[in-house]
Amino acid sequence: MRKLLFFFVVVLLAACSTIDCPIQNNVTVQYEIRDKAGKALSLTDSLSVVTMRLDGEYVFLDITTLNNNQYVLLNRLIGKSSFSLPISYSHPEDVLYFCFTDTVKTVVDTVWIKKDDIPHFESVDCNAAFFHEITDVRYSRNYIDSLVLLNRSVTYDQQTVHFRLVPKSSD
Amino acid sequence: MTNRPSISVLFRKVAISLLLLMSATGASAQWKFFSLQKDSIPLFRGFAVSFDLVGATMMQLSDYGSYEGAFRVNIHDEWFPIVEIGYGKANHETDEVTGIAYRTQAPYFRIGIDKNLLKDKHGPYRLYAGLRYAFTSYKVDVDCRPFVDPVWKWETSYGVKDEPCNYHWIEAVLGVDAKIFGPFHLGWSVRYKRRIAHKEGIIGRTWYVPGFGLDDDTRLGGTFNVIIDI
Repeated sequence: MRKLLFFFVVVLLAACSTIDCPIQNNVTVQYEIRDKAGKALSLTDSLSVVTMRLDGEYVFLDITTLNNNQYVLLNRLIGKSSFSLPISYSHPEDVLYFCFTDTVKTVVDTVWIKKDDIPHFESVDCNAAFFHEITDVRYSRNYIDSLVLLNRSVTYDQQTVHFRLVPKSSD
Repeated sequence: MTNRPSISVLFRKVAISLLLLMSATGASAQWKFFSLQKDSIPLFRGFAVSFDLVGATMMQLSDYGSYEGAFRVNIHDEWFPIVEIGYGKANHETDEVTGIAYRTQAPYFRIGIDKNLLKDKHGPYRLYAGLRYAFTSYKVDVDCRPFVDPVWKWETSYGVKDEPCNYHWIEAVLGVDAKIFGPFHLGWSVRYKRRIAHKEGIIGRTWYVPGFGLDDDTRLGGTFNVIIDI
């Protein structure tokens, strides 16, 4: 019986709670770049994405992309066929300026992303987060031929592609 | 957002598993396990009530816990049908790091049966193995201190009030019980818990579930019981 009591104490100690916040806790929108035939296309022109903050200042968004199997943050993307961008925590519409630059000029397209913001709670030990449901997307067509919404739900999942971007130059 | 398997499907799976287990062992061994020992001791051996000290202690020392009592029927010192009823409560004030406050309180119940595994069924000690089905329906308040969007710099916040949730789970129990004097017993139990169905509202998850404890990956729990035979 003593051995049993010892066993139970050990098991109870092992049952002590731990902090279980998700390791991957970035909520970002995934983009893929494709040609009109649907084949992966690496950007030959560089891409920067700018947005306007609450204080009226324009800021570059961090562009996340895979480089040698590691996620890297960039201001300017080149030679990649996929990337991800941040999404605002709670604002009905994000306005993003996609700036495509070659050796001569910069072409800017404006993208409007409408969304519903869904509070997401994991635990009192984990930072508050928002998931999103994209409800609409509009865009100008200077460089972009089409921007197709593939998946509406934006969560911690970094594997799901949300938008397919097809440049005009992909003919 | 979360998959909620139907309870009937889960019960069917449990029933099929038990049938397979029974068919895997010899028929006589099955019968021996479920049959009562033949002796001169009467079938009905009375009732017992118990109170769990672990939940009550946690209620005093931390920001969550429960008060829980149980009513148990003694059938020939071998089988013990049991009902456990409790009241679980969590009141986590605004977290210094995350700025999140969490509140809930609700009753819960479990129903199940224990089997005394010792050879000497009528002795002062008992070693139990058992199963429970448990359920609670509770409401959750979550408040979050305003925080700033790191890119857009808008201040934002969120919270829910009286978010209705429910939780069904099963527990496998292993416990000991020792007679101290007269009708007074003390006992431990260790429990392995598995959620079988749940609804946790629009916020995705809840933190503390009355009766289940913290809704994390920890699946073990325990009780320390003061038991009185009546």
